Amino acid sequence: MPLETTATPASNGAAPARAPKGVAVKPGRHREASLYHALAGAGAGDGRSLAELREAALRAFEQSELPVWRRSGFWTTSFEELEDELLEPDEHLGKIDPTEPATEMRIPEFVRSSLPQRPHAGRIVQDGAAVVHVELKPELAERGVILCSLEEAAQEHETIFHEWYCRRLTIDRHKLEAANAAFWSGGVFLYVPDSVVVEDPFEIVYAISGPGAAQYGRTLVVGGRQSDFKVHEYDLADDFVGGQALHAGAFEMYLQDGARCRLAQVQDWGTGDVFDASTRFVGVGRDAYCHWLPALLGGHLARHHLELAVTAPGGDMAFRGLFFTERDEHLDTFAVDLHETGPSGGDVHWRGAATGQSRASFEGLIQIDPGAQKTHTYLQIHTMMLSPKARLDAIPSVLVSADDVSASHGGTVGELDEASIFYMASRGLDRPAAVRLLVEGFFEPVLGQLEDEPLEELVRERIAAKLARARDDIEAYATAR
Amino acid sequence: MADLEITNLHVRTEDREILRGVDLSIDKGEIHALMGPNGSGKSTLANTMLGHPSYEVTEGKIVFKGQDITEAEPHERAKSGLFLAFQYPVSIPGVSVANFLRMAINAKRQEPIRVKEFGEHLQHAIELLDVDRAFTSRHLNDGFSGGEKKRAEILQMAMLSPDVAILDETDSGLDIDALRTVAEGVQKLHDEQGLGALIITHYQRILHYVKPEFVHILMDGRIVLEGGVELVERLEREGYDQIRQEVSAGAA
Repeated sequence: MPLETTATPASNGAAPARAPKGVAVKPGRHREASLYHALAGAGAGDGRSLAELREAALRAFEQSELPVWRRSGFWTTSFEELEDELLEPDEHLGKIDPTEPATEMRIPEFVRSSLPQRPHAGRIVQDGAAVVHVELKPELAERGVILCSLEEAAQEHETIFHEWYCRRLTIDRHKLEAANAAFWSGGVFLYVPDSVVVEDPFEIVYAISGPGAAQYGRTLVVGGRQSDFKVHEYDLADDFVGGQALHAGAFEMYLQDGARCRLAQVQDWGTGDVFDASTRFVGVGRDAYCHWLPALLGGHLARHHLELAVTAPGGDMAFRGLFFTERDEHLDTFAVDLHETGPSGGDVHWRGAATGQSRASFEGLIQIDPGAQKTHTYLQIHTMMLSPKARLDAIPSVLVSADDVSASHGGTVGELDEASIFYMASRGLDRPAAVRLLVEGFFEPVLGQLEDEPLEELVRERIAAKLARARDDIEAYATAR
Repeated sequence: MADLEITNLHVRTEDREILRGVDLSIDKGEIHALMGPNGSGKSTLANTMLGHPSYEVTEGKIVFKGQDITEAEPHERAKSGLFLAFQYPVSIPGVSVANFLRMAINAKRQEPIRVKEFGEHLQHAIELLDVDRAFTSRHLNDGFSGGEKKRAEILQMAMLSPDVAILDETDSGLDIDALRTVAEGVQKLHDEQGLGALIITHYQRILHYVKPEFVHILMDGRIVLEGGVELVERLEREGYDQIRQEVSAGAA
């Protein structure tokens, strides 16, 4: 007897059914977790060429409105304020000539100063609509590793591109997803062949330099059998003024049998009006493993759909993440821990904080499909409020359709602890220093899991900078209580 | 004037007055004991001396090293050389003992302490308090036993070298071995660094290992009796009730 449980009132415990391939789910307004269909792609295996997929996406784009995500009683994430001109890709494609040879000098200064100084296996940078820089260690190229723009991959590595492109990502759930699938340019393709082990990370950068940029970024990563590698993605923008910019992102990673990947993402869009609507899918194959850690550090309006799926027996994953919003930022994260088969393992641990008047909402879903027996997974989400005007919601949900599994969730909602602040003050630490220690200590159980000193340092610095900017808010919060 | 001079201190919380005119003077290098039954205001005095925001001073003042610190921020009091060993130390997850100590030391200095100097300093304190080096890489008080927490308090005291330390019921909840280590640590810091200490306790036990020169007895928010170490012995014989009766008879 299949067992169905759900932890949230808004979740109706519907049986998880996959939408058939190629059939458009009605675009427009979404209430995903209340009736969740796992991502089911439109590309690989349905026989359509890239041009046909772009055409189909364009039709979906034209027929749909800007997306609004509602979680009744909790939050609404609306992209309706996005200006029309950001939905006209051709204009922006011309801004950087993609035929010009990429060079290091074309990496924007704010990106160069942000990236940690550390050895890397390869680096690819997209600024706005075009890839401006690609580098790959020659010895890795010799061993068959491919790192190039996705545009180039579609032409030069057609077979492998078509085998995987859009295998699980949809192209028509909402207008911005359709826009990405129709208009994407530049893009990133990384292929690590069977049995290739790479110690240093591959760095992928999506940069937005100013207002008016419409970045339809698209990444495809394929890890061959028994390959072992690291991917660090940076989504960064200059602190610009004077208009909106858009990042509509799509990311897909497929780990074949026995492949292992540590995937980290630092997303910090800065103070400019950056809108980000992105979907990311990671498929973990037979006996493969993925450790995925997004650090979502805010943007004007960001909606992340993150799906980590065990697609074959023996797959295992750790899904850790942190988020921290400030000022009037709005962040909406939907993180799915999906088990399509068993035995499989999962370990989901998220931590989030909010200052200023920001709004951070997180929904974590464990979904265990029918037949995914012997799956063991756990979801925990901890949040910390740092301002009287911020709002933070965290909803864990569990949808289970198998009976020989363990799946549970837990979490805490916290505030700054005045007793701890007094304790530290009695040792000579002033309030800002004490708060910083508390917040860093709060994030540490996730941050430390990056297991990468330069990256940890970068995230710590950005958290500290956010705290420094939020000093008055934090003070106000203390005196208001 | 003594290094720490408390004059006519009245303190209240939201709902009631707890201290009703406390006078107390402590010099660097002196060991004082403050004893009293539960609810007499001992912890209130300790917390007020460090500026806990929940306690309001309605009258009187605290002068430390010539400065009126009655309204000073807690971290400023700490930086000027006061220390409080907490009765119930809070845990600070995610921050190691060593890192916390380094930050606390640096908060008092212009230039950050050198790694080598810090290491030597830490080694000395570790030996003094008979703790394992691995102890310092654990997160501060996180999952510590009662005894470990109290040792961590005294370790911090040793590292921060205050002029005057207030030990708020540091003896409570300690087994006899831990109590001896902690008490001997305090005595050594007194002998080596000239630490001044106010040992707040309900019991006499700790005073067998660290010898106070001055003993004060606090009841109902006032110091009712003062003397030398002979007062501890008297208390051991007679108990608080006897003393309370005598005091109220005397006052009547």
